[in-house]
This record gives sequence, C-alpha cells and structure tokens, in this order.
Amino acid sequence: MIFGFAFLLQTALLAQGGDKKITTIAIKAIPGLQFDQVRFTVSPGAEVKLTLSNDDDMAHNMVITQPGSRLDIVNAAQKLAEKGPEMNFIPKSPLVLWSIPVIYPGESKTIQFIAPEEPGIYPYVCTYPGHGFIMYGAMYVSEDSELPDLAKDENIPPSRRAGDINEDTSENTSAHHHPKWHPYDNSAPYLYRVFIEGSSLASIAVNLPHQLSYCWDAELCQLQFAWEGDFLDNTDLWYGHKNAYAKVLGEIFYKEKIEFPLRIGTKESIPDPEFLRYRLIDGYPEFHYLLSGVEVHEIIHPKEDGSGLIRTIKISKGNDPVWFILTPGEQVKYEFNKGKIVGGALMLSPEEAKEFTITMTKANK
Amino acid sequence: MTKARQLLIVLLIGFCVISGCDPKPQGAGATYQVDNVPIPDGLLAETGGLDFLSDGRLIACFTRGEVMIFDPKTSEWRLFAEGLHEPLGLVVINDTEIVVLQRPELTRIIDTDNDGKADVYEKITDDFGISGNYHEFNYGPVRDSEGNFYIALNTASSGGGIRENVRGELRLNGRDGEDGKRQMYSVVPYRGWVLKIQPDGTVIPFASGFRSPNGLGFDDLGNLFVTDNQSDWVETSTLYHVKKDRFFGHPASLVWQEEWKDVDPFALPISTLDSLRTKAAVLFPHGIMANSPTQPLFIKNNEQFKDFEGQFLIGEMNRERIFRVMLEEVGGEFQGACIPFIDGQGLRVGNNRLAFGPDGSLWVGQIEHGWRGDQGIQKITSTGNPPMDIAKMSLTRNGFALTFTQPVNPEGALAIKNYQLRHYFYAYQKKPFDEPVDKTTQRDLQSVAIKDITISADQKTVALVLEELKPGYVYELKLDSIFNQSGKPLDNQLIAYTLNNLLPS
Repeated sequence: MIFGFAFLLQTALLAQGGDKKITTIAIKAIPGLQFDQVRFTVSPGAEVKLTLSNDDDMAHNMVITQPGSRLDIVNAAQKLAEKGPEMNFIPKSPLVLWSIPVIYPGESKTIQFIAPEEPGIYPYVCTYPGHGFIMYGAMYVSEDSELPDLAKDENIPPSRRAGDINEDTSENTSAHHHPKWHPYDNSAPYLYRVFIEGSSLASIAVNLPHQLSYCWDAELCQLQFAWEGDFLDNTDLWYGHKNAYAKVLGEIFYKEKIEFPLRIGTKESIPDPEFLRYRLIDGYPEFHYLLSGVEVHEIIHPKEDGSGLIRTIKISKGNDPVWFILTPGEQVKYEFNKGKIVGGALMLSPEEAKEFTITMTKANK
Repeated sequence: MTKARQLLIVLLIGFCVISGCDPKPQGAGATYQVDNVPIPDGLLAETGGLDFLSDGRLIACFTRGEVMIFDPKTSEWRLFAEGLHEPLGLVVINDTEIVVLQRPELTRIIDTDNDGKADVYEKITDDFGISGNYHEFNYGPVRDSEGNFYIALNTASSGGGIRENVRGELRLNGRDGEDGKRQMYSVVPYRGWVLKIQPDGTVIPFASGFRSPNGLGFDDLGNLFVTDNQSDWVETSTLYHVKKDRFFGHPASLVWQEEWKDVDPFALPISTLDSLRTKAAVLFPHGIMANSPTQPLFIKNNEQFKDFEGQFLIGEMNRERIFRVMLEEVGGEFQGACIPFIDGQGLRVGNNRLAFGPDGSLWVGQIEHGWRGDQGIQKITSTGNPPMDIAKMSLTRNGFALTFTQPVNPEGALAIKNYQLRHYFYAYQKKPFDEPVDKTTQRDLQSVAIKDITISADQKTVALVLEELKPGYVYELKLDSIFNQSGKPLDNQLIAYTLNNLLPS
C-alpha cells in the first residue's frame, strides 16, 4: 500500500496558537479548470483556515459539500439558471457546508470553519457553469491523516491521479515518446502545416523517409531548413490556448540564408512570390507557386542513402534564364544535373529550367 | 507503398469503444435522444468543422489537422485529408471536394483521382494577416447561394503577444496601449472582420467590429448571422445580423477601414463608437443563457425539429447546452429571443459545430482547445414525443406574446405568479483595465410586473401585458407550472427577449 503524504505536507501547515490549533490550507485555481491541490486532510473538529487564490484567467468559486454530494450540487448550480450570477452559482442547499463566492483572476478569499466531527471525504468543487464536472478535489476528515493511493483515488479528477502537476507537465512535454496523435500510423512522407521557428507563419513541415525532415515556407515560397532525427512535437501548438511553435525533434543540418534563392531573369531580380497549392505525389508534396507570375513546381525527395535531399524544380513556361543562389557556408554539398555555376549561383537556360535537380548532401561532421 | 497502405486504412469501430458511450437516461417523455458517435482510437476528436456528403456520410475536421469521413451505416471512419493547421470549419462542395478554413489560408481540398483520399490542397486565399497570436482563430467558411465564402477572423488576445514575422501590414494602433494587454486587438489586416471571398479568391472586407466571432450561418433568405463572445466591448455574447459595411462594436478592427487607419480606435469617444455600430439582434445573457456561443444553424424543412422551423440552433461551449434563437423584424431590423433547446440529457459541453444529417438529425461536434469544452461528436434525434416548449416569443404593442408548441392548460398559463419577468441592460463600454475578462454586469436589473394575461382561443398563445416596454433592455422571463393539456411541463422555462425596437404605434 502506498500512502501519499506529500499533499498534506505541502498544503496543511499546522499553526500552534496557545490551545488552539489552526490548520491552514492554501489552494489555487489554475489554468485548465483545476485546483492545484486536489486533496488534503484535516482532523475532525479542527479549526480550518482555507484560502482560495485565483491564478487562472477565468472566474472560479469553491463549494465544500457533504460527502458524496458533489454532482448534486453541480447540477443544482446549473439549475440556478438566471439566478446563477447573483448567487455566485452557489445553490442554497443543506448539502453545501461552506463556500467561497466567485473570485476573479488575481483575487483570493479566505474562509474559516470548524471541520466536521464526522470523519469522511468531503468534496470541494468549483460550481461556475461548466466547471464542476472536472474542477474538484477532496477534503479528507480523518484522525490519522493518511490518504489513499493517488492513482486509485476516485475522489479526485482522473487527470490528476497520475501524480502532481509538475510530473504531468514534464511527461507531456517529453520529446521522444509522444502518445499516438492520430487514429492511424503516420509513415513518411507526411506533413503538417505549422507555426515553426525560422520560417513564416504559413509553413509546411514535411517528414521524409530516412529520418529526414524539412520546412517549406508557403509565404516566401522557399525551402527554409532541413533536419535529421525525429520529426516534430506539436503538443504545445495543438493545445491552442497560448502562443506556441511546433518543436523540431532533430538536428538542423541545413538553413537557407538567402531570401529568394530562386530567381528568374537576372541574379539580382527579387521575385514576388505567390503560393498556389501542393499536390501529393506518392505522398510527397509538390509545391506549386508563382515567382513574379512564372509558375514553379518543386518537389523534395530524400537521397536514396538518406545522406541529403534532392530537389526537383520545374519551370516549364519560363522564357528567361533561371538562377539559383547557393547558400554560403559548408552545411551541404550542392550538385546539379543541369546548368553551370557562375559566381556562387547556378545559372540555367529556360530550356534547362524546364526540369532540373538540386542535390544537397549533408556535410560530413 | 506506404501511402497506398494508408489509403486503404478503414477504421472499423465497434459501438461503445469510447468511455461513457451510453447515453444517459432520458426520461420516458423526453423530446430528444442524444447518442454518442463512436470515435476511433487515437483521434483527439476536437471538432473544428462538420458537414455531410451527398450520400449521407459525415465529414469532419479536427484540431490536429485531420479531415475524416464517417459512414453512419457501417460506423466506419476513413481519412480524407491530413496535416492542416487548426482547421475550424469546412464546407462540402461535392463528393470529392471540400473547402476548409485553416490558420494560414482558405483551402480547397480535392480528391482528383477518386481514390477516397485528397491529393490536391489548393489555396483559395491567404489574403489576410496573421500576427502569430494564438487567439487569431479563423471561423467559417459558410457559402452563399452564389458560391461566395464568408469567414470571420478573431482578434488577437490581450493574453498573448505577436511574433516578429507577422503576415500582412502591421498597424499597431489596432492595439490598446503599447503592450496590448488591455483589450483584444487587431494589428494585422482584417482581424475582427467578416470577409467575403469570391469563388476566384478575391477578398472583400465585408463587416467589422467583431471580437471572437466563432460562428456564422445563413437563414433561408440569405441573411448572414454571426455570433460573438462576451468580454471587452461585448458585455454579453451576441448574435449579429451582418450586412455589408456595418460595424458591430469592437473598435480594434476599425484600423482596417481607410478613414480610421491612423486613429487610435480605443480612444474614440464611446458616443462616436456607439453611433457607428449596429446592435446585436439578440443578446445571450452571460452566465444564464450562454457564455461562449458558437455556430448558428438554420432549421429548414426539417421533420425532426419542425416546431422550430425558421429558427436557429446555436452551440454553447460552457454548458451541456444547445440553445435556440427566434427572430422577427421590428423597425427594419431583426431582434428576438433565445431559449435553451437541449440541456444535459447526455449532451456534452464544448458544443462547437452543428450540422443536420440527411434525415434531419442534428450532429454536434465538441471542442475544448484549452478552454472549457470537451471532445467528440454526438447525434441528437427526435424521440417522436412532441416538444412541450415555447415555439415563439414575439413583441406586441404592450408586452409579449408566447406561442407554445401545444395547447396549454389555461389555469397555469393565466396565473401571473407563474411568470417571473425581469429586465436589465448591458452597457456598451470599454472594459476597465483591471476587470476580469469574464465579468459581466447586468444594469438596472429589475423585476417587471405583468399587468394582465390573456390566452388565445386555441390555447396556444398567451399575451403578457406590461406597464411599459423599454427599448435597449433584455426581458428575461422565467416560467413555472405551465403544462399542456395532459399535464406535461415545459421542456424549457427560461427565455430572454432582446428589445431593440418597439413596434410602430
């Protein structure tokens, strides 16, 4: 049998004051419709000073009920209908023992009461509309201050039975063993449109075979970076209720340093890009976009041995020479099947630009 | 090869794979039945959009970017599209083509080779701004009879900043104060607007003044209605009748209007803003009717809900509730009342998207996305028991008329004590900086005496006569002890009428 004393130690400080023993409990309402403490113990008949602080961005209250009465009270609170706001969503009921009215973010309120003489499990719950079904906890009134095994404690929300909040968070953000994200198994190639650092707010991250991935910028219409290792952790991004990015789970081996490496006409002509669409070909996205009105198709495959990327670019209706400016540095080794290198850039005739490849092989470390 | 395999994935689901699948007991006389739609293992069923294909299959998109098709006949799910960025709405164009609104763009998604899975993801438009603030959700699309799409763009949250690489022109005067931590804001184009998007992708800024407009819907005459969520400048949640070039009250979006582009809209006198704005057709009293309304869905030619033909059903995030809105034209503008449609009975919270199935059943997709909500899809059908409800609340010259779906017992219906009427109004105001986001004040909250009650010959309509009617007030009516002829009580007892205009005298 495992007994958890941790919450008790964290929350209940016994203050000695002459003959009088006051048990002090501090509970916070925190984001995610939860109390930071989901259980505590007090002795029968103890004098209890309970403070609720609202650290969330929504309004909350707290009602302590008779044993087994949480759902009755939650339902009664819902039924207050138009009277709800003025009653702080606290129903008049003998099942309500003590309560803290609605407090708003940043506020706190303290109540003092004498704990019941009858040992038992006394629920506490926020009865603000919609909150009561998941935002609750349990006050254990007992002589011995022992609590049941957390994992099996049916008096606390299921989401909190796994451990304390900090443990939860660290598990959720653990990079390498993300839970199943979809009702199917993803197998490369596949993609996510995401917010990701190092690319515009309209970006497409693509996972390729051989543990390779890249990020394509659908605003600038260019490859921005590529990495090897695992793909992405989208946990924070998908949460929704805060600014977040998809996290790259690998090592970036290539970062584009040129804005608009692909240019049409002269090497200096900065194109005006417009994204059109992508078409999936055997699962690989072929990006279609306009550079100053000229349609470009680009598809990126892994090299057969996984040592880099092969970019196939098609500019089938161009009438001008095409330039591809090499990103300076030693990140990758470039190879081309057409055109010639002129002053740090690949130059292609309109005919050559109808279809050409750029192979980027990771530099040896 | 791997793709071919994935293509053939058919997710066969037994009923009740999800916990709590059994609908809760719904009394013998219940009007509606709520059933849970089986959700495949591994799907986070946070529903962004719902629609139906011509063969009766449901198509839905979810916040992790999947678009999936559910066949009610076989309970099978299959994948149609994936990888989208926070898709919060979709419409079916035909059985191989849908249009989805995702964070960066309005996208046409097509299965060009008819293998059941989409292969072309084509931009219709991305001609609107993104600041990177998490709260810039995009809602819609809905489509008019000419094929134009309408979308609504959420403002940015005062609870979050913007990123360095915003998309679109940056106008920082769309933010109140330097840190933006006071009101929701609009610093990139058309945040807080409804946009009309022509089939060729041309964007027409349509109407402004929205805060968090998570729901668009048309009536049968092509009138566009949009809901908005309570907080700064929106003292209680609303339903707006959206017409071109109107402004609906949240000032941030004004900076995208040529004549206001250089002003600080938050510093304009309230009287100026008030004179510019169009008031809500219906107010949803906060903490009473709805805290976070979602999509309005118009009831038309629907056998299952025929008592409420011509009205809207609207989802609510914070309660196990879908509510109903009835409108009438008074003084040239729509106004009307809201009343719960279904409360509890196994319905979840987080009711984000609604669609009618081919048989008229109502399908509801839930979402939470970091707020109060839930996951899943539920189906609501009529049990065949006729509703005992208020079919309509309408304004009269000296009060209100209530029409019930069934004849009522006159004894209860004529007793003044069975009607508790209150009125109050909500101020149009700049939210005080230190006031919590979800605090709302009902002003001049007063009980209203009913002078007289009469009942119609068919015993279906009662007329309540009041001493006085005050435009600008919500009239909230709580009914009790009113029964049909066989003693069945009302399904819903709370209704609130938004009185903008009086009938011409």
